[in-house]
Amino acid sequence: MSLSLWTLKTGDHCEILGYDDALDEKYRIRLMEFGFHRGESVSCLHSLGFGAPKVYRVSNTVYSLDDEVATHIMVKITPSHA
Amino acid sequence: MPKVLLMGSPNSGKSMLFNRLTGLHHKVANFPGITVDVSVGRMQAIPEFDLVDFPGTYSLQAISADEKVAVENFERALVDPDVVQVLCVIDATRLEKSLYFTLQVIRECVRHGKPVSVLANMIDVLDTHKLSLDTQGLSAALQTPVMPTSARSGKGLEAVISELKADHAGMGSEYVELPDEQLRAKAHELAHRFGPKGDVLIRNQTRLDSIFLHSVTGGVAFFFIMYLLFQSIFTWSAPLMDAVEYVLSTMADWIVPLISNQVARDFTSDALFGGIGAFLVFVPQIFVLTFIIGLLEDSGYMARAALICHKPLRLFGLTGKSFIPMLSGVACAIPAIYAARAIDSPRKRLLTYMAIPLMPCSARLPVYTLLIAAFIPAGTALGGLLGWQGMAMFAIYFFGMFCGLLVTALVSRTSKDHYNDLPFVLELPPYRLPSMRPLLRNSWNRSKHFVTKAGKIIFAVTVVIWILGYFPNYGTDLGASWLGYMGHIIEPLFAPLGLDWRYGVAILSSFLAREVFVGTLGTIFGIESADEHMAPLVQHIQNSDLALGSGIALLVFFAIALQCVSTLAILAKESQSNSLGIKLFVGYFLFAYVAAITAYQLTNFLT
Ligand SMILES: Nc1nc2c(ncn2[C@@H]2O[C@H](COP(=O)(O)OP(=O)(O)OP(=O)(O)O)[C@@H](O)[C@H]2O)c(=O)[nH]1
Ligand SMILES: [Mg+2]
Repeated sequence: MSLSLWTLKTGDHCEILGYDDALDEKYRIRLMEFGFHRGESVSCLHSLGFGAPKVYRVSNTVYSLDDEVATHIMVKITPSHA
Repeated sequence: MPKVLLMGSPNSGKSMLFNRLTGLHHKVANFPGITVDVSVGRMQAIPEFDLVDFPGTYSLQAISADEKVAVENFERALVDPDVVQVLCVIDATRLEKSLYFTLQVIRECVRHGKPVSVLANMIDVLDTHKLSLDTQGLSAALQTPVMPTSARSGKGLEAVISELKADHAGMGSEYVELPDEQLRAKAHELAHRFGPKGDVLIRNQTRLDSIFLHSVTGGVAFFFIMYLLFQSIFTWSAPLMDAVEYVLSTMADWIVPLISNQVARDFTSDALFGGIGAFLVFVPQIFVLTFIIGLLEDSGYMARAALICHKPLRLFGLTGKSFIPMLSGVACAIPAIYAARAIDSPRKRLLTYMAIPLMPCSARLPVYTLLIAAFIPAGTALGGLLGWQGMAMFAIYFFGMFCGLLVTALVSRTSKDHYNDLPFVLELPPYRLPSMRPLLRNSWNRSKHFVTKAGKIIFAVTVVIWILGYFPNYGTDLGASWLGYMGHIIEPLFAPLGLDWRYGVAILSSFLAREVFVGTLGTIFGIESADEHMAPLVQHIQNSDLALGSGIALLVFFAIALQCVSTLAILAKESQSNSLGIKLFVGYFLFAYVAAITAYQLTNFLT
């Protein structure tokens, strides 16, 4: 079962499965340049609530994505390694 | 002139390295996308080389305007025989995001036979946390020299200079043939193999973010910081402004009586001290505001503020990235328009351009301060907690921002343009202790720029206004002067606001730059008042029998009208269309005029 990255809550970890077709090609490329590859693990560091963009960590960098992007990234929740 | 290029991903420290190597003082800040244009400077250590600073780019596939500038310039540079070296700057603390672009740059440079070196910058951060980067391993893997540097401490820069002086043999590279797809995978692999291990840096950042991006404390911190910002503009710069005023009036009292020629004496007192002095008082405020905004940018907080404001701004058709340009617009529309380049979505950039001229810029501040001091009583409410004048200032500031958001909300709802729209993706930079010297220097330069740029216009206008107002009757009857004659012609336009011809002339002159209004009024009242000792302009206005409604109408008019030649010029250049500026100029004038008449009528009705 795949979820979108947007559904992650603070502290959740996941693995990227891919992108859905609704996301513009150039954005898909930019996200991959940022390190959001298939198979990469991503964690959600902060979510302010109120629909504000959430903060994700991938590799050693931190990005903020809003729902218009994050809902198009398909992920699989992975158990957090403490 | 041989050229060396300085390229790299956003926020990796290119401009700081540039400043170090050239001795120049370009803007450095802790937010991706600060440099928006290529700039050139002579290298201090190798005077026969020019160094070229590029806007940061995540890859050679540009998706925003400033990236396009970088990519196009890079493509031109590859075939330019003057380009002798390419320096590619990577952020050693965030290797992966920098490496993909580096590999692309290396590939293109090798294809075109340009020598390239990699600078692993911010090495001081790794040192303090006892982390390390395997520069030798990385250098071998990239088949390119990799030099650790710190733009902040200057470490490693001699090595860079000797590398530049060295002779460069042709390089081979296994990356020449690789397509982007494989470079991306390679970057990922190299970052994991050679990059610093562990996540101390991220943990530090996360700890602070769990306060600043928390749903409760984050909001409280945001409002507190904005409150401090406005306090600093109004309360903290007040003593400095008083000091400037005191110095100017002491000088006037001392110099003016020494001049024996009547005309020269009147000119010095009315035009020089009355007109230009009135505007010099505001320089400290500009300095303080630029400094505080710089402090917020360099600490890394601005990126968090953009995130917090994203959702509310989206309601008005904007994005969180509009927040920085709009906040800079509180200082001055010109840097704000430049800052808007970092907004990747063309549609949201356009909407931000529309909102910026309505932000309460510091040129409006002299006008607001003057009018509020003249019309609003100095008393307090709630046992001294709230000053009426402060509240009036807050209200007029809020009114300007509200109008800006109203315009973008209306425009974004009536015109849909999905093609030019892009969603929100922002790299969150680490928190850093701001470097004070560049910040102070930047604030100083901004103030100097304000004095020299605006000062020239104000000087010219005051001289013209003074001549027109002083002759042909040597200042004895302003109403019968040339200026008075012209003023009476335009009087009908301002009559519906309850303003007489003197204010009409001041408003007309303020279309060059808003603060000219104060200078012009200062000159006019200076000529009019016969007494030797200069009374403050506020008193002249209070004695001029202006109704409260007219005062408020003036405030409203100045809050909306786009009276700034420089803004129009920059807007035309940045939006690459002359029509946008003209449309906004006409539209905001009509909006301002109608709103001012409404305010006048409403106040008269209520009082
Ligand atoms: N600790 C440390 N901080 C640095 C170093 N170099 C730059 N910085 C900081 O990093 C931030 C970004 O520096 P800039 O020089 O503006 O970076 P840039 O690459 O020009 O960024 P853009 O123009 O936005 O692409 C600023 O806050 C600098 O103070 C360094 O070597 N060490
Ligand atoms: Mg820069």
